[in-house]
Amino acid sequence: MTIEITMPRLSDTMEVGTILHWHVDVGDEVSSGDILADIETDKATMELQTFDDGKVVSLVVNEGEQVNVGTTIATLTGDIPAGGEAPLEELVQTSVPENSEVKSSASVTASKTEHLGSRVSPVARRLAEEHRIDLGTVTGSGPSGRIIKRDILQLVDTKTETTAAATTTQSSVVAGQVSTAAQPIKPLAPTAPWQEDKVVPLSNMRQIIATRLVESKQTIPHYQVTMSFDMDPLLEMRATLNEQLASSGVKLSVNDFLVRCCALAMSSNPEFNASFGGDCILYHGPVNVGIAVAVPEERGGGLVVATIRNADTKSLRSISQESQYLSNKARTSGLSPDEMGDTTFTISNLGMFGVEHFTAIINPPNSAILAVGAAIEKPVIRNGELAVGNEMSATLSLDHRVIDGAMAAMYLKTLKELMENPASLLV
Amino acid sequence: MSVATASRVIEFREALREAMSEEMRNDKRVFLLGEEVAQYDGAYKVSKGMLEEFGPRRIIDTPISESGFSGMAIGAAMRGLRPIVEFMSWSFSLVAADPILNNAAKMLYMSGGQFGCPIVFRGNDGAGGQLASTHSWCVESLYANVPGLKMAIPYDPYDAKGLLKTAIQDDNPVFFLESERLLSTTGHVPEEEYTIPFGKALIRREGRDCTIISFGRPLHFCEEAAAELAKEGIDCEIIDGRTIRPLDIDTMVQSVQKTNACVVVDQSWSFASVGSEIASQIHSICFDELDNFVHRVHSDDVPTPYAQNLEQAYLPNARKICEAVRAATYNA
Repeated sequence: MTIEITMPRLSDTMEVGTILHWHVDVGDEVSSGDILADIETDKATMELQTFDDGKVVSLVVNEGEQVNVGTTIATLTGDIPAGGEAPLEELVQTSVPENSEVKSSASVTASKTEHLGSRVSPVARRLAEEHRIDLGTVTGSGPSGRIIKRDILQLVDTKTETTAAATTTQSSVVAGQVSTAAQPIKPLAPTAPWQEDKVVPLSNMRQIIATRLVESKQTIPHYQVTMSFDMDPLLEMRATLNEQLASSGVKLSVNDFLVRCCALAMSSNPEFNASFGGDCILYHGPVNVGIAVAVPEERGGGLVVATIRNADTKSLRSISQESQYLSNKARTSGLSPDEMGDTTFTISNLGMFGVEHFTAIINPPNSAILAVGAAIEKPVIRNGELAVGNEMSATLSLDHRVIDGAMAAMYLKTLKELMENPASLLV
Repeated sequence: MSVATASRVIEFREALREAMSEEMRNDKRVFLLGEEVAQYDGAYKVSKGMLEEFGPRRIIDTPISESGFSGMAIGAAMRGLRPIVEFMSWSFSLVAADPILNNAAKMLYMSGGQFGCPIVFRGNDGAGGQLASTHSWCVESLYANVPGLKMAIPYDPYDAKGLLKTAIQDDNPVFFLESERLLSTTGHVPEEEYTIPFGKALIRREGRDCTIISFGRPLHFCEEAAAELAKEGIDCEIIDGRTIRPLDIDTMVQSVQKTNACVVVDQSWSFASVGSEIASQIHSICFDELDNFVHRVHSDDVPTPYAQNLEQAYLPNARKICEAVRAATYNA
């Protein structure tokens, strides 16, 4: 009996995976629990175990190759016959699996093979690979139905049109790597040898950023609401707490206060802890606040969102510890799917870079994201008098399908009360 | 300088003459021989006035005996001179096939490097207009098959001068293929000396949809075709190979990688031709970049007809090139 190993779905958002390394070779005998391969997903690198005993018959996907979830990546023979290996013919003939789930992936493979046999011009085949177009879905306009360059480019154009309204933040995506790439780009003619353009293929991380944020900006009706916060009381309390807790190694950041404030405000404004479900709105039980963390260039760049689970029930101290641990891990070794899944709200803070104000793109399936600027010393009116104070501006991006403007205002009002009366955060 | 930008305009034949005269002034070893090149100023007036300037020892009228004077020139080249042999027509070189192919092209190899053969054979190649089947030879495919020789085909007066000077300076036998139909055409040619390197093709027209590769006179038909096709929205890139040996396949491949479609226009017959060689190389080097097989336009596979209308229909012409480009780009 032949067992087909398919690319597993290792996270909610995973659509493709890359085989980084095979731990087995053709001919190796494996038993349940053995590690077959390292697989890079959109979020992390994970080990693939076998659940069956058997012998590796083929490794279909090469190291470094990326395939869709469900694609066959290797085959095993189950039940190694007592007399030795099963004859090759038998292995081939018995490749129809019994289990229906496997069957569906097998039929995908079969139809793919069929397209490989159809008429496709060489460059059309290459372009289809680049733009991730399944040749089976393309009607050829060349002689005898040959699929030609024009057929592929028309499909790419159609995609481009549908993404024409897409956010400009994606405009620099390298053409051909991601189906959501806005337009084909071509290098500029260099006027000097050191000015030559460089093509850098997208990392997995950048591909997922490109795909998910275009999807977010295109499908979610975004709007923004901004409010300013008097930061003097909070900064004062933070200084006091940090001074008193210095001996226990606690150093609270403004962001730690923000996480707690946002989480508490979410408890009293449940739409902010909800997801749009097409024909329903899903109100989440747990309040999980995500923090956007920039990944350093030497680790491939990009950003991840670390999850502070049940942030509404956690003290400032534990939020601070958890957030420091996760940010460090994200920047050094990377987060596990568990450490970055299931957020219900996201905070993106560029205050530490001196940014005054910006807007963020919602991180689906969240309904809102808070873009936070720096607390800046400026002239303010306090009790009818001109004074010098610290003000911080924060901008919510909202999914209008879930949250209306008045609700956003209510949330910011709650947030403002918490931020400006920080003593309540201690209990 | 890679294209004509000078202000002076002269005829193609004058550009050829200027190249020869400049090289003869620069190098005493260079001389010209052929039928009617001296007293008659050349059958096509290419060598007009050269006898007067260089005298009968360096501008030599020969008997009507291509085999004889080619062989004589090859001997002179082996002994250190640098002859230019004018064939009134390359059609007549066929009787000299043994010396030019068996001796000139192979001498360096056969003598173990002792004797080179720095010689230029030049003359009219291709249909001159109702010269009928024996006098309308396109020898490029026939002769390019032989290792050891170089072959250049100029497109305009600028290239005629620059390429011919390179040919005369080259230490190998160079087959220099002119066209009777282009001799009276004019173009910008600098008065100063310049050479054009062998093995460097030139993009005559930039385009994105289809690469057209050709040499010499048919390039003019390619330009007509490209203008016609532009009206249909097909944007052609025209590459002038300039020399067949050495062949600048890299420039051709780069263009095909951009356009994904290619038509080769070669005025010789299609069977075992320069066109089939280029097509084969493109197929093997950039197969994955092709949207269609390389299409070819040649003279029809019959002896050249005498009748004017039939000759026109027989040669590669703009209509045939348009049809080939449409087919190659799936616009047929």
